[in-house]
Amino acid sequence: MIAMMDSRMGLGAGSAARFAGAGALVLFLSWQHVQATRFGYRVEATRRETAQRRGRVAALRVQIEQRLSPEQVAARAEKLGLIPASPDALRRLPERESSSGGGSLARLWARRLVPLVAATRS
Amino acid sequence: MDLGLRLSVAAGVSLLPLPLLGLRLADLQVLRHGALVNRATNEFARVAEEAAPRADILDREGRVLARSVPTWSCFADRAMIKDIPKFSTQAAPALGLSVREVTLKVRGGGRFSWLRTGMTAEEVDALKQHRLEAVGIVPILQRIYPNGDLARGVIGFVGTEGKGLAGAELMLEKRLRGMPRKFELIRDGAGHSIFKNQSESGHTPDPIRLTLDRNIQYLAEEALRDAAKRHSFKSGFAAVQDPRTGDILAMAAWPPNALKNPLIQDAFEPGSTFKVVTALAALDNGLVRPDELFDGERGRWEISPGNFITDHEGEGPMTLAQVLEKSSNIGISKVVERVGAQRFYRMCRAFGFGAKTGITLPGETSGELKPLRELTKVGLASSSYGYNLQISAIQALGAYSAIANGGILWEPKLIHDGSAPLKVRRVAAEGPVRELALMLENVVERGTGVTAKIAGYRVAGKTGTAHKVDPLTHKYSATSYTSSFAGFLPASSPRWTIIVVLNDPKGAYYGGLTAAPVFAQIGKRLLVRDGIAPDRVLESGLTAAKR
Repeated sequence: MIAMMDSRMGLGAGSAARFAGAGALVLFLSWQHVQATRFGYRVEATRRETAQRRGRVAALRVQIEQRLSPEQVAARAEKLGLIPASPDALRRLPERESSSGGGSLARLWARRLVPLVAATRS
Repeated sequence: MDLGLRLSVAAGVSLLPLPLLGLRLADLQVLRHGALVNRATNEFARVAEEAAPRADILDREGRVLARSVPTWSCFADRAMIKDIPKFSTQAAPALGLSVREVTLKVRGGGRFSWLRTGMTAEEVDALKQHRLEAVGIVPILQRIYPNGDLARGVIGFVGTEGKGLAGAELMLEKRLRGMPRKFELIRDGAGHSIFKNQSESGHTPDPIRLTLDRNIQYLAEEALRDAAKRHSFKSGFAAVQDPRTGDILAMAAWPPNALKNPLIQDAFEPGSTFKVVTALAALDNGLVRPDELFDGERGRWEISPGNFITDHEGEGPMTLAQVLEKSSNIGISKVVERVGAQRFYRMCRAFGFGAKTGITLPGETSGELKPLRELTKVGLASSSYGYNLQISAIQALGAYSAIANGGILWEPKLIHDGSAPLKVRRVAAEGPVRELALMLENVVERGTGVTAKIAGYRVAGKTGTAHKVDPLTHKYSATSYTSSFAGFLPASSPRWTIIVVLNDPKGAYYGGLTAAPVFAQIGKRLLVRDGIAPDRVLESGLTAAKR
């Protein structure tokens, strides 16, 4: 084709190649510009959507915090008939011998103390 | 005419405008280039801002106390509305308003009128689907406090422009505020935006963690609220501190007020809760023996001609421990005579009275401590039991924490940043401080503070009841009081220092009858919350035996 153009327009093979290269470059730059614009639309739309979703997440997190606020938890507990525990209600669970550590004296102490404290509430 | 000449003339005529065009071109392309480029750019390009949300304020466990949430507001452009009734009929269901409301909003005001504010993303989506002309939507960051009024006196609030106006919001403004992200956008013919690039990356600040504990704060506020029902006081406040680190765990005020934090902004005459300062000055300087007796003068003592000090109950000879248990003004006045003005004043300063504590909140008062030269015999005596001076609740809290931890005064800490607690000074030697702490346990065990007692636990504290100054007569009122209780628990290994101050309670007004039960209520809930085992094992055993 280049040869045909050469013969018809009287251009040399080199010039024809340069002309075609320039044309291709123009086409590429145009395509690139179109793509950049297309991506620009998409980026902007995504950015807006992200901002909106981020806002939605923040609002939902606030809702969670509101539901977990002590005042609301206390109100729900009251509805369920729960009352605040008094320190008298505390129970000290006996520790396992293996985890109690220490020597025989410590184990003896633990054995003597635990039933005493636990028994106070029985 | 010669062809060549004719061609030359034709060429000359046709080329004649060229210099003019060249000049015009140079004017546009060179001289006015910048202005024209700007004009063209402004036609279709713009810079958009994405506001950075203000940083969250969290409690010590990372639970949200304040957060900025994007909301949307929509407005109507009246110039674009041709038929108001028709517009109102179309817009009302989309906005969730009545037709009348929309009509009123559009008719009132100028060209722009707000139709709705604080809309959620879902509401905005629904509104967009109606494709209403003349309606615009703008995003706005709204500051939300998910726990309602909880700790509002500490957190403060922000104004409509998003700037902190009170409390931590004001004090930490620079750290809370972010920098917006900026974008360059181009607009196409239809007005759609095309992202070009990001011109400024902006900055979203990290959340700030306070030392407050949301649950402890609630317990303190709840206890105050309950007490307000019982005693109908004008105002009251309570605070909880960790005596091991100086961390402020709760600062509650009733009635709640986001504009003011009375715990640090108000100074008051503490009354008998201040007797610990006198007692420690005596103990630290070795001026009083544990078995030494001070005559209670049967409740009325003429300290100087015409000046009387009275006690609510007439007492005979008392040890220092008994002086505190019975809260005897006469007894402590006799102790301070031995201590002397200089040592007493030095101990007041060591505890930090008369100076700001340095807490990260605005408007802190330093209180008022009379200068040494004004501490005459009568002035010194009245100062020894908490009159003739003014302190803030945060100062008193710090002082009792120092007694709880063996004598170290911490700077009250409100920002939980992992840094080590800041020691202000050692107030006194550890021995005398421990001795005083034991005396305070007796105050709760068998003294004026018995209502602060918690079965199974060792509790230490001191009651206070001070006459208030009548603003009209400028004399002490016989009917208006400041009632207080300050103490710590469990006394064997203190974890919490609590102060309760009630302003002008009605009916029973003694600190032991009004403030001490509030202390006990908060203390009980804290012990259960943290599952602290009783430190009075013997008593628990006896209780069990009785059952």
